[in-house]
Amino acid sequence: MLTSRGGATGPNPVRGDRSTMSPATRRRLADACGYAAMALVLIVIALPLVWILLASLKDRSEIYVQPAVWWPSTWRPENYVEATTSVPFWTYLRNSVIVTGILGVAKFVLGVLSAYGLVFLRFPGKNIVFVVIIAALMVPNQITVITNYALVAQLGLRNTFIGIILPLAGVAFGTFLMRNHFLSIPPEIIEAARMDGAGHFRLLTRVVLPLSIPTMVAFATITLVNEWNEYLWPFLMADDSTVATLPVGLTLLQNSDGLTNWGPVMAATVLAMLPMLILFLALQRHMIKGLTSGAVKG
Amino acid sequence: MINMSRRGFLAASATAAASALVAACAGSSGDGGSASGDASKLTFWSNHPGKSVEVERELISRFEAANPGLSVQLVDAGKNYEEAAQKFNAALSGGAVPDIMILSDVWWFNFALIGAIAPLDDLFGRANVNTADYVDSLVGDYKWNGQTWALPYARSTPLFYYNKDVWRRAGLPDRGPATWDEFDDWGPRIQTVVGGDKRAHGWGNATDYLAWTFQGPTWTFGGAYSDDWTLEFTEPRTVAAAQYLSDSINSKRYAKISNDIAGDFSAGIIASTIASTGDLSGITDNAGFEFGTAFLPAPQGVSGCPTGGAGLAVPAKLSDERKVNALKFIEFITNTENTAYFAQNVGYMPVRKSAQDDPSMVAFLEKNPNFATAIEQLPRTQPQNYARVFVPGGDKIIGTGYERIGLQNADVASTLADTQRQIAQIYEAQIKPKLPA
Repeated sequence: MLTSRGGATGPNPVRGDRSTMSPATRRRLADACGYAAMALVLIVIALPLVWILLASLKDRSEIYVQPAVWWPSTWRPENYVEATTSVPFWTYLRNSVIVTGILGVAKFVLGVLSAYGLVFLRFPGKNIVFVVIIAALMVPNQITVITNYALVAQLGLRNTFIGIILPLAGVAFGTFLMRNHFLSIPPEIIEAARMDGAGHFRLLTRVVLPLSIPTMVAFATITLVNEWNEYLWPFLMADDSTVATLPVGLTLLQNSDGLTNWGPVMAATVLAMLPMLILFLALQRHMIKGLTSGAVKG
Repeated sequence: MINMSRRGFLAASATAAASALVAACAGSSGDGGSASGDASKLTFWSNHPGKSVEVERELISRFEAANPGLSVQLVDAGKNYEEAAQKFNAALSGGAVPDIMILSDVWWFNFALIGAIAPLDDLFGRANVNTADYVDSLVGDYKWNGQTWALPYARSTPLFYYNKDVWRRAGLPDRGPATWDEFDDWGPRIQTVVGGDKRAHGWGNATDYLAWTFQGPTWTFGGAYSDDWTLEFTEPRTVAAAQYLSDSINSKRYAKISNDIAGDFSAGIIASTIASTGDLSGITDNAGFEFGTAFLPAPQGVSGCPTGGAGLAVPAKLSDERKVNALKFIEFITNTENTAYFAQNVGYMPVRKSAQDDPSMVAFLEKNPNFATAIEQLPRTQPQNYARVFVPGGDKIIGTGYERIGLQNADVASTLADTQRQIAQIYEAQIKPKLPA
């Protein structure tokens, strides 16, 4: 078309503007855009968390108010006392630590070992095993709830830690994640270790795992956070505070038919988030360290 | 250095996995109920409605003191009626059922239909249950197919709550509206007084049981969700009621859909609402103003108020001995003295006729006239429509439809037609085939 061809021969205003911009200015602009995007994401993520923290220190009258009050006029730390005394909070915390700790270790060990087996061992039907693992990833947990419940109940394991832990100990995700990472390890390193006479145990502990720290930390973090927040299965399994985890137990702070005092609920939420937050901050350092350490010298 | 063969490595892996899981054995072993076993050890699954866990523990202590041979374990069955039903549903697959199960107005029928809970009539004599003393409309809610399937426990009705300060400033009489037409006249006047983002009235959202609270207004318009199993969402009078809801929010703008009616009312964000009697104690504790309760608006001779709340049922797979013991427990915790105690401490209605003459209840009602409204309104209540309480998920479907009308200004007729289609599908697939011929 005549007009478009004519337009094409004319100067490109955008290109003209960009050519006048120095590389340093362009870099600064890109940085500014990056920081702006990060700030936006941070606000979206942080605002609800800030709200939870502030609400945990508010009186009920300042939570149920319009327009919303962000900064409390009077601080109410008593919400934390109520959150930890009106329900057996420390028992729930202990139970969460037990369930999350054991599940974390079990999933980590099983995930790493099964991934190692799928990558470094030769056995018939290896691909079929991997396909089954992928298939297991596709099945939502909720679908297996009834069959798992029937099995656990018939074994007499309801309202026990083992009844909560066993059905959650499947490691399809961990196996998939670690297998993909192990496949990315340069074969030369593995060959060199084998030529040095390393057996499977040494190969795993001295070569494969040290090269996998970032992925392992990511796997551990995801696993621990998921198990810490698990609700449906512990809820179905637990009958009382002896084995109920934090997400299950803290629902007792809410009123199913009436007014919920959100101050203590938010206080309990803050306390429930803290262990995972601390854990994440602690593991983050190792994740970065693992990412920056090279395996082969140049 | 350790050097391990492949076989040795696999053996070590298996051992590590096994030991990790064996470590999980820490914890108490127990079962939250059983079809067999010691019939003197009962389990009571409750979601502790109205934060009643301490009250329920006290009732259990009283029962155990009065029945030395029997003991009851209280089980946390979830944070609301829906979760309790979900937990019971799972238990039906695994054998470990409770002896006493709390089931709300929208759940008991589903379990009766599939034979999961037992009809109780044949057991009443053996457990010394006098059903004549239960409030007729409340025990009547659990009758189906000529049988009684549960007994009333944490029972409520909706009440009309209003902010007396706002009413005074709007120059309105100190009472609830007599009809919804009258409230339609009052609404704009109240709105002028409250102004801004506040509203004269707040309707609950779908999760705040809008399908329950809007049932009464629908009846006063001459409509209904259903007449037995005949669906009536598309009937002109049902549509007219829903149009009233839409107009109050979207054109006259004196009402809104609230995420938390009890909280918003207590905070003065809405000047009136329809909320449960179960909300009364919370609102009393938290409202920083004088408020009143009234019957739900309805013309003379028309019932504008449904019943609600939860009852206690007994699973069908229990032995007869367990069923009788379970029924003894239900009878005991809902007897005159205990239903009065439960009502005063939690906010639900006493379920026995004789409780209204109980000295502690008489004194309580004198001190709490707002609570008396619920009891005085009882004769004007009627059982709920099947479409909400007997159709699995019916409450959510209906509530979501009305929520769309209020929040999205969705077309009333087409939204109700869609609601009717969804309810009809569930009825045809899940209920009709199981109904007795």
